[in-house]
Amino acid sequence: MIKRTTKIISGTLGIGVLVALGIAYYMFNLPHRDVQAAQIDFRLSSTEIVNQYLADAPSANDKYLQEEGDSKILAVTGKIFSIREDLNQQKVVLLKEATEHAGVSCTFTEATGKKVENLDIGHTITVKGVIRSGAGFDEDLDLYEDVIMEKCDVIEK
Amino acid sequence: MNKLSVMAMVSIALVFMAFKPLMGKLVSKDAHISFFSHTALEDITANNYKVVSTLDTETGDLVYSVPMQSFEFEKALMQKHFNSKGFLNTKKFPKAKFTGKITNLESVDFSQDGTYEAAVAGALNIKGETKPMNEKATLTVAGGTVSLESKMMVVLADYGITFTKGKPSTNVAKEVEVTVKAVYTKE
Repeated sequence: MIKRTTKIISGTLGIGVLVALGIAYYMFNLPHRDVQAAQIDFRLSSTEIVNQYLADAPSANDKYLQEEGDSKILAVTGKIFSIREDLNQQKVVLLKEATEHAGVSCTFTEATGKKVENLDIGHTITVKGVIRSGAGFDEDLDLYEDVIMEKCDVIEK
Repeated sequence: MNKLSVMAMVSIALVFMAFKPLMGKLVSKDAHISFFSHTALEDITANNYKVVSTLDTETGDLVYSVPMQSFEFEKALMQKHFNSKGFLNTKKFPKAKFTGKITNLESVDFSQDGTYEAAVAGALNIKGETKPMNEKATLTVAGGTVSLESKMMVVLADYGITFTKGKPSTNVAKEVEVTVKAVYTKE
């Protein structure tokens, strides 16, 4: 009887330890979120999101930024203002109307960057990506900062 | 006009274009900041290529605006921890900022290609805490751009980032090495 109870207890403990190790291993190797495979949270134009930030940055941050960094996934439609490359050799497409102060800066990935080669300045496209920070006028920089999106891809053109 | 004088004029024009003076405010829209934390248990690196910076060649003003959620880690879980309330609380404090000045502006010649050692004094604001910071930076002036490189140590506790228990208290260094690289052009 005692033997049996001991067996059950040690068995349960053993399974418990294995499960805990499994979870720890999974969490340690937790993959990064696949932004392009994830669902779009908001669809809007570059003008709309920039204006939301210029009107009320704290409430826009509250709406779009997430506590653990997995912030909202946006599909932003806008006119291509410029195309450049960052220090990580990734393509950066700025969606902005020529008359506006700020736009949406979209950084592509190694996998999606090739699509940028077929894009032309002035064309209207829709880009899906994750928002990292908002737009606004910064007094120290003395310039307008753009909305920043990363892990981007073109979804409509 | 003969061929020679045309060629002379073209080459003079090219020389002027190549040496467009780098005066006033220069901008770097995609500067790179990385940090490195070393402990006996673990080395942690994160990279951010979305830093906006301005450098004024006339006043020496130097500003960095850092979107905190753009720091990328190898491990997704670490990135989550970094952004969370207990660590950098990036939803509430989405940007860190450095504002400072080059204090030895007389020893940097922005009109002359070359490498210069700059002394920078300013203040770093992370998570609502501002602390003074004095660092050296290397400026390279070459063909119409200015590059800046700098390395500094940042004490996490200065910005209210402390761990008393769990893995972070043993695996995250108390002081992290921050590397800055920016390429400035005239907007």
